[in-house]
Amino acid sequence: MEIITIKSLIKNYDGEGLEVHALRGIDLSVRRGEFTAIAGPSGSGKTTLLNLIGGLDIPTDGTLTVAGNNLAGMSAKELSDMRLNSIGFIFQAYNLIPVLTALENVEYILLLQGVGKSERRDRSRRILKEVGLAKEIDRRPKELSGGQQQRVAVARAIVSEPELVLADEPTANLDQKTGAGLLDLMHDLNHKKNITFLFSTHDRMVMEYAERLISLTDGMIASDKKKKSLKESAEKKLKKQR
Amino acid sequence: MKLFKESSIEVMLAWRNVWKNKRRTILTLLTIMVGCSMIIFFRATQDGSYEKMIEDSIAANTGHIQIHEKGFWDNQSIDYAFIPGEPLQSYLDKNSGIAATSRRVHAAGLVSFKNNTFGTLIQAVEPEREKKVSTLHTTIKPGGRYLTPDDGMRIIIGATLAKNLDAKVGDSIAMISQGFDGSIAAGNFEIVGIFRTLNPRYDQALIIMPMAQAVETFTMMGYLTSIVVRVKNTSDMEKTRDEIRALPESERLEVMGWDELTPELIQAIVMDKLFGYIFYFILLLITAFGVLNTVQMSVFERTRELGIMMAIGTRPRQIVTMVLFESMFISLMGVLLGAAVGSGLGYYFYIHPFDFSGYQKELEQFAMVTTVFPAKLTVSNVVFTSLLTFLFGVLFSIAPARRAAKLNPLKAIRQL
Ligand SMILES: Nc1ncnc2c1ncn2[C@@H]1O[C@H](COP(=O)(O)OP(=O)(O)OP(=O)(O)O)[C@@H](O)[C@H]1O
Ligand SMILES: [Mg+2]
Repeated sequence: MEIITIKSLIKNYDGEGLEVHALRGIDLSVRRGEFTAIAGPSGSGKTTLLNLIGGLDIPTDGTLTVAGNNLAGMSAKELSDMRLNSIGFIFQAYNLIPVLTALENVEYILLLQGVGKSERRDRSRRILKEVGLAKEIDRRPKELSGGQQQRVAVARAIVSEPELVLADEPTANLDQKTGAGLLDLMHDLNHKKNITFLFSTHDRMVMEYAERLISLTDGMIASDKKKKSLKESAEKKLKKQR
Repeated sequence: MKLFKESSIEVMLAWRNVWKNKRRTILTLLTIMVGCSMIIFFRATQDGSYEKMIEDSIAANTGHIQIHEKGFWDNQSIDYAFIPGEPLQSYLDKNSGIAATSRRVHAAGLVSFKNNTFGTLIQAVEPEREKKVSTLHTTIKPGGRYLTPDDGMRIIIGATLAKNLDAKVGDSIAMISQGFDGSIAAGNFEIVGIFRTLNPRYDQALIIMPMAQAVETFTMMGYLTSIVVRVKNTSDMEKTRDEIRALPESERLEVMGWDELTPELIQAIVMDKLFGYIFYFILLLITAFGVLNTVQMSVFERTRELGIMMAIGTRPRQIVTMVLFESMFISLMGVLLGAAVGSGLGYYFYIHPFDFSGYQKELEQFAMVTTVFPAKLTVSNVVFTSLLTFLFGVLFSIAPARRAAKLNPLKAIRQL
């Protein structure tokens, strides 16, 4: 079953006088449970594509269906609700609300969804334990390392068990080892909970974790490969490095 | 505040954000505190000095209420004399809110001594009753005394007038005026006392004589020109005045309260209040801009954070609520501090009034009678000022709060 269906997607930006063709006709479908990376050089349109899928931006042309919703014609409020209920977001860095503890940051999503207090607590604690932060739950973001912060962001993105998690270069600010750890975690969650992950990267190592690798060049899909076995070889490589 | 409360996430976020930048918040609190306490304190000094000035003016000679024949106040002539009827007399005698009343006869006249002649206001009083109505008897200079009912051809005069005439206690001065019946009223009167009220109008021109003598000198035949009423509480003046006005015979009388009797003082107070309000408004604006600036800065610093909050599903309305709560917390704390400090200052200067009696001479030039100014703290001053400061702060934060909610999440997230 498709969770994302994209047809002839075009996105132009009005640059100063000059129109930027960020996406020039994308056709793509992603099935539930996929663990997909979007790769490509800087400026190829990775962020633009993720933002459109997440309903954070409006396409110039084409159709976009996400988790059963046709995004065209949805109001800002409906888009906001869709983001809250169906999508988890992980940004490159500084994802968290600084004045909230790790636990509260994770709880925040459930709170917006109106989940009752004790259930909220339990679920958030459990997820933080799963991402390996059982001891850090009461720390504020500035008391956590970059990798720990991204783990909290992952926990926040999946705590409400959304259908889709979008992550724009989630490992870009982490060293390779920490980045690999984060990807392991995401991959685990993908397997265990059957949550669809779509993330962008231009890190080779990260690409090799993906089960499906979509390469963008100049706003168009240059290649789209399924490669089940790559994760193992990536792990081997990492072990050799140590 | 450790735990989330249902639906109060905005409140909790606001509270924590307020304390994220402690230094800035404390500076803002101090701004509000200074603004709010200054307004409370200045208003207390105004309220206190107005009340003191009014009380001094009432006490010296004016009284709370004066009753005259219609037309007397504008003409100040003995021609407008009247005999109080039974209903008025019994009202004045029996009303429990009235502290004392005194009857007076006023006339214009000339006095001369040696080669000096001056126009004067002659005021005949019943000495024993008058002492309960006014404080003029307490301002007699040493060496003299106040009048007694049967003093006959004896008078007391204002200090400036005495100086101008070059007369002193024991001297006899000639006085000429017109009687109620149109006859000439004249005689030689012995000065038994000289008063200094500090009110230049009285000190320059007033002569006081006993009523028993005035009845003869001016051929009053039971008529008088005014009844002066002193009520127990100044605040009851209006009620008493209106009750007297409601009496049937008051149709031919003018019943005036102290505010109508001392229009210059009221005018001066109104002007002073107006300048006060302008000053307070400026202070309010300054504190409100302080809050606005703090909220604006805090929103600006958190642009990316707000963008992420909106991207993950926070509603713009929740952002507005959160930012407004921040300004409410800051304003509320500032106002509470301000109310405390303002009240403290007000209370201190109520106990220890401003004392300008050292500058009496200078103040007299400005016709200032009052030299000691206590502050007067009222509940309405503290509550109203605090409320207004709070409202100004919160109102001025609506703009940055709405701006925060209108952020485009994408553009906001791109900022670091
Ligand atoms: N808001 C914008 N206004 C104008 N042009 C934009 C805007 N956002 C992106 N672009 C342009 O669109 C193109 C695609 O940008 P995008 O951010 O999607 O690339 P990317 O693949 O994410 O690059 P990177 O790897 O550097 O993050 C670029 O040429 C970029 O300059
Ligand atoms: Mg990008």
